[in-house]
Amino acid sequence: MYGDTTDKSLSKASIGRKRFNWSYAFGALALALTTALAGCGPADGGKSAQAASGTTAASAPVQGGELTYALATSPDTLDPRRSGLAVSVRVFGALYDTLLIRSADGSLGPSLATEWKASDDGLSYTLKLRDDVKFQDGTPFDAEAVKFNFDSIIDPETKAANALALLRPYKSSEVVDEHTIKLNLEKPSEAFLGNLSQGMLSIVSPTAAKKEGEDFGKHPVGTGPFKFASWTENADIKLERNPDYAWGSAEASNAGAAYLDALTFKIVPEEATRIGGVQSGQVLAAETVPPQNVVALKNDPNAQLLQTNTIGFPYTLFFNLEHKPWNELKARQAVQYAVDIDSIVKTLYLGTYEQAWSSITPGILGYDESLEGKIKPDVAKANALLDELGWVKGADGIRVKDGQKLTLHYVDGSPNREKRNDIAAMIREQLKAVGIETEVEITQDVATVVYQNWDYDLYGNSQVNSDPNGLVSFYHSTKEGERRTLSGLSDPQVDEWLDQGATEKDEAKRAELYKKVQQYISDQALILPVYVFPYTVAAGKSVQGLKFDPFGYPIFNDVYLQK
Amino acid sequence: MKNSATSAEPAARGAWLGRLAGRSRKSAYAAGRQAVSRRRFGSADLLTVLAGLAVSFLAACALLPGWIAPYSPTEMNTAAILQGPSSAHLFGTDYFGRDVFSLVVYGTRDSLLIGVSSVIVGVLLGGTLGSLAGYVGGRLDAAIMRIMDVLLTIPGILLALTIAAALGPGLRNIVLAIAISSVPGYARVMRGQIMAIRGRGYVFASRALGTKPSDVLLRHVLPNSAAPLLVMATLGLGSSILAGAGLSFLGLGVLKEIPDWGALLSQGRGYLTVAWWICTFPGLTITLFVLSVNLIGDRWRDAVDPKRKGR
Repeated sequence: MYGDTTDKSLSKASIGRKRFNWSYAFGALALALTTALAGCGPADGGKSAQAASGTTAASAPVQGGELTYALATSPDTLDPRRSGLAVSVRVFGALYDTLLIRSADGSLGPSLATEWKASDDGLSYTLKLRDDVKFQDGTPFDAEAVKFNFDSIIDPETKAANALALLRPYKSSEVVDEHTIKLNLEKPSEAFLGNLSQGMLSIVSPTAAKKEGEDFGKHPVGTGPFKFASWTENADIKLERNPDYAWGSAEASNAGAAYLDALTFKIVPEEATRIGGVQSGQVLAAETVPPQNVVALKNDPNAQLLQTNTIGFPYTLFFNLEHKPWNELKARQAVQYAVDIDSIVKTLYLGTYEQAWSSITPGILGYDESLEGKIKPDVAKANALLDELGWVKGADGIRVKDGQKLTLHYVDGSPNREKRNDIAAMIREQLKAVGIETEVEITQDVATVVYQNWDYDLYGNSQVNSDPNGLVSFYHSTKEGERRTLSGLSDPQVDEWLDQGATEKDEAKRAELYKKVQQYISDQALILPVYVFPYTVAAGKSVQGLKFDPFGYPIFNDVYLQK
Repeated sequence: MKNSATSAEPAARGAWLGRLAGRSRKSAYAAGRQAVSRRRFGSADLLTVLAGLAVSFLAACALLPGWIAPYSPTEMNTAAILQGPSSAHLFGTDYFGRDVFSLVVYGTRDSLLIGVSSVIVGVLLGGTLGSLAGYVGGRLDAAIMRIMDVLLTIPGILLALTIAAALGPGLRNIVLAIAISSVPGYARVMRGQIMAIRGRGYVFASRALGTKPSDVLLRHVLPNSAAPLLVMATLGLGSSILAGAGLSFLGLGVLKEIPDWGALLSQGRGYLTVAWWICTFPGLTITLFVLSVNLIGDRWRDAVDPKRKGR
């Protein structure tokens, strides 16, 4: 779900980006010239610096200073209830707290809620809340505040975004006492409790939310270690230390107020500028480092590279099962055999990304390791399958049947996020070898082409998530009037497994159900899983204590600046 | 009015009588051309020859890329990615393992196609509008030129960007966008030229002899007004290629198997710090082409400009 909405917002920002890129065209030219004249590649100091995969706590934390953190895209809103972007959640972690947290080992831990218990029928959860928490505007945090938050998310007037999907099947809240709340559900859901740890369900101040209404996203107030100071559109978001903070969860080792005086997020879409900013010292940290810069950064004595794999659904190419001939298993299998994902991932990401093998990533309940390495590229098999279906190679090497060319309409978004356009270019070459013509359409308007017209044979998507229940949104059949899924799959057996998985309380049995789903998806060649996205951050050497939660979102409360 | 033009063109004074008789203005320049050819072969001429060679070579690349490029532009040799320039790969390889030299050679066709066809479309549209405005005059002139004035207030590249965004992606739309954004410039020059020629004696003479207005326009006014426009078009070729590279740099539309120069720049820019050759060579090729075309255009302008004769 984060994936989809990111695409949309990018298309909105298209005009601004275009103008920017235009000036960059000349910039690139000028740079190309100067580089050529200087006649040199990147300078290599020859010093072998250690490649850090996490900042090491070398000494006692230092108080003070400002961390500048360059983001690749701008958050849409700072109201977690109304946001649809993963990048916003990176900021939410500093501004807000969630009721629960997800630990590195995948278990749930306490945060604003200290204890939680499910009723026997699974239809309600009773949560005990901390009694020492205050919002940054002085409002006390209590059961009423939680009730306000969740009730406002399901209120259609709020126009909640992803938070609504995460909160479902929430029905109502009962305030048991000041610091105890009972959450009632429409139907049992095993994913519900886990979702309370997601940043989109952060708790906002009811006082401020009521006062600001729709504008709350521009004047956010939460309980987090940093409070909002200012937001300059497409430039930066400034946060200040919340001195009263004393309720940090176990995900950070510092439970008290932050070490940093200020935290500033800068919006720097151009990746070369962003990473260059760290190397030149203009910013202290920058997110999403392109693979080709990873190696150089590892050798840079003044910078460090932090990396964490995100969990959820990997970048996956979905066949549109409603389009011929890809509704036929053998045709999909032929593509599965013809495409060499291993070579694509190694070539484009230079060993910095891991290949994905299944419809969910490692770290998600029920991940099926047996699928790893199961499908090996085999051009002969792919050719044999297409021959069987009666597609015969024509003079131009493209297969033909009944006067129709064998074509695959591959849709991808612009700009070229995570080199996804380049994946398309490589797949086109590989499919040409077995006689499939791939027409790659790059569009800024994914919302229309994909989610409205469903005009694609193959389209890729990824999603940050914590629970395999999210598979429902990709593979469960849909009813009349509901938005269809990317795959368009409609199989009663899969529906049954997914429905059971949503309510099964026994974790082992639940995992089994999701393994069956994954095997089915793989056997039916419904998708081509491509890569697991690692969240990478380049940071100056002075930045210490920066960590990430299992979703790949940064935790700022332990960060300090080494002098 | 009759004499106003001639007083500004002392070189053409000798042909004044000839013009009155309805002869083409071309003959007036014959002397000027001879002057150029009689001069010693200087460094400027050498540059022009070199520029001509460069343009011819790139034209050959566009027509017969298979004869020049050592590799297929689509062949992805994943065992040899991001290799620097060497004897095997003159311009190195890109991140797919494609040979950058072959890519540049094959990319010439689309790049030149964008440049040349947008200039042709722009000149035809702008020339026609300018001729109509200049020759017919009156309200039509006012209407056309006010529209052109409005278009001129918008920077050309911004106009092209807006049109490209409105028309949607694709090679044809890029051509249209660049062509339309260049129309006001051509129209203005053409109108001014036509208005100057319209008042010449030989035009009056022709009219007085009872020639149809359309014949006067086609046989006397247009041929004598076209030269500046052609020079302008030559110079415009360079900027059209540059604009085309810029627009395709944005990377919209159908992902082409063989990227043009602008798309190559766009693909390579993320690798500038680790593999400078992916961006640099297509960039230098654009520079080479635009520079050559401008040099040739400049020389041509000097040759047909009577004011510069003898310098």
